[in-house]
Amino acid sequence: MGTPEADHAALRPAASAYWNPYAAGIGLGLVLLAAFVIMGRGLGASGAFSSLVATGVHTVSPSHAEGNAYYQEYLGDGTRHPLKDWLVFEVLGLFAGGFLSGILAGRVNKSIEKGPRISSGRRLVFAFSGGVLMGIGAKLARGCTSGQALTGGALLSVGSWAFMMCVFAGAYLLAYFMRRQWL
Amino acid sequence: MPELTSTRMNPLLDPALHIWGWEIPVYLFLGGLVAGMMLISGYLIFSGRYRERTQCACYQVPTISLLLLTLGMLALFLDLEHKGFTWRLYTTFELTSPMSWGAWILLLVYPAIAVLLLLRAPDAWGAKWHGWLRPVLVWSSTLRENPSAVRAIGVLNMLLGGMLGMYTGVLLSAVGARPLWNSAILWLLFLVSGASSAAALVHMIAQDRDERELLAKADNGFLVLELFVIALYLIGLVSSTSAHQQAASLLLSGTYAPVFWVFVVMAGILLPLIVQILAVQHKVKHTAIPPLLVLFGGLVLRFVIVYAGQTSHWIPVTAAALR
Amino acid sequence: MSAPLFKYGLFGDNMGLVVAFGIGIGFGFFLERAGFGSGRKLAAQFYGYDLTVFKVMFTAIITAMLGLYYLSVLGLVDLSLVYVSPTYLLPQIAGGLLLGFGFVIGGYCPGTSCVAAATGRIDGFVYLCGIVVGIFVFGESFSLIEAFYNSSSMGSITLPAVTGLSYGLVVFLVVLMALGGFWFAGRAEKKWAHIRPE
Repeated sequence: MGTPEADHAALRPAASAYWNPYAAGIGLGLVLLAAFVIMGRGLGASGAFSSLVATGVHTVSPSHAEGNAYYQEYLGDGTRHPLKDWLVFEVLGLFAGGFLSGILAGRVNKSIEKGPRISSGRRLVFAFSGGVLMGIGAKLARGCTSGQALTGGALLSVGSWAFMMCVFAGAYLLAYFMRRQWL
Repeated sequence: MPELTSTRMNPLLDPALHIWGWEIPVYLFLGGLVAGMMLISGYLIFSGRYRERTQCACYQVPTISLLLLTLGMLALFLDLEHKGFTWRLYTTFELTSPMSWGAWILLLVYPAIAVLLLLRAPDAWGAKWHGWLRPVLVWSSTLRENPSAVRAIGVLNMLLGGMLGMYTGVLLSAVGARPLWNSAILWLLFLVSGASSAAALVHMIAQDRDERELLAKADNGFLVLELFVIALYLIGLVSSTSAHQQAASLLLSGTYAPVFWVFVVMAGILLPLIVQILAVQHKVKHTAIPPLLVLFGGLVLRFVIVYAGQTSHWIPVTAAALR
Repeated sequence: MSAPLFKYGLFGDNMGLVVAFGIGIGFGFFLERAGFGSGRKLAAQFYGYDLTVFKVMFTAIITAMLGLYYLSVLGLVDLSLVYVSPTYLLPQIAGGLLLGFGFVIGGYCPGTSCVAAATGRIDGFVYLCGIVVGIFVFGESFSLIEAFYNSSSMGSITLPAVTGLSYGLVVFLVVLMALGGFWFAGRAEKKWAHIRPE
């Protein structure tokens, strides 16, 4: 232990800069390639939350969940726990990897991401609403940015490319109306 | 797994088939945690830190230990088939029964922890002490004026903590019918895991900065030891009879492998170890996340060992054998 | 050696989950390195002054695409065993638009919000809660939208199959397009640099 000032500096190291986007992209691409080569499938994220929701509904009301074709898809035939799922474990790793990278770079801190002209409360309302839309959209499209755009994009899937264009189109369409939140 | 029928292979008819639920792993985890906390607070008191520091963790730890131990005992009690006869454990001492040993160790552990509370009494409540509690304050100051007695209490806590931690593993390895538990090293695994969980918990609650550093370093040491003991445990099983090998494969590549590798080894030991090593070198800041992961990993370890152990058999049960 | 390793039975489902965790760690690590744990950096894509999202995404796509293509040409990977999710054109277009709205309103997508939550962003965590609610809403109203959800089914169809071009040529065109996009992104960032907040 050193002086109090040194301790203070040591406890809160300055956040280091983000990687060059092309370097990070190559890293991400190699992880995706590893998934293809090792597992024969790509990455994903939203599917894990579908398993979580299906499991939650099934816990509260088994008959209701089993009567719903959508939840049933994630519950399976009952021989395996629905959370013992590839995407659930991948997303757990996603949390671990994000945390590891963040803490190594000094970027783990309790904060809210927003532009300078919006209050935290309003930002959280927007975050929640965006999440709801994203949840519905991702289920409708059978995947999200990782499962469809990234994975399907690299596999040249027609639906994934159409999806990717629409994601950018939708976001650019609405960007002007959301500028007070970010700019 | 054999199907349940109304005539046989049913825990209601064959009590031997009774499957341990969540109660036993929770009890083993809390027991190991308290054992580790006794080792830590015993050491802090033995080393005389309680006198140098106004905020020694050894002042808070005993209260929490008593609470956690009581919760653990409650979980154990919930699991007992004949709750009304629990007291009978204390009418005899069976030299060859780990249950009997455990019951008596637990009976000694309570007063050993409780006496630690006396150390704190004058500081914590000072002027408010009056009436019938007055004698407690007198005992407390007598104790504090007698350093060798305090050191003896520290040693007593370390000893009993060690015994309690070992016993949680011995309890399982004494069940000869389960090859996964039939390992001479299980007690060490549970002792080290209890110590790492306890160091993590005390690290989180300690107020004194030096003590936090000390405990984070101790936790790193315990986690490295735990990895080593897990490796030895698995190597021991794999190099034993085919029943032991099958039992080990439950953890290595079988049904329990995802939970074991991901929650116990990777998220419960490796990840917090990496982050905490960087934290004690002041390269990253201390957060509550590594200790929480260690605690969670310790809990999952007990669940995996207890659940997978109950699935392991000496003779592989096949459908044909049951018919 | 033949890959995908899992499809050739090198390990079972249970070890697959352990692999999943490892791959997830890499996924989360690079997302965070790119700055995708920050909603502001992600949303900046839609205001032109920081096109990191586009650059990272397309670099990742061409890296994985080229890698997979060369490995299959060398005969190391059997492309037919890599799962291509089936195309349902209309629901994917509608879902894509909704997802785009959600992206600019909330600031994240599901994967990046996990990284944001893991690095302490409260809005990332709230966004995740929103996703869970959104999926619940979708699940509860599934009987109403089931017909649309299953409409315009085209199977696991790929760009080479639709255009009649060879796989290698499509790969080449995608790389060209991405390189053009990167050049354009650099120009756009300069043009819009003045609107970067603060």
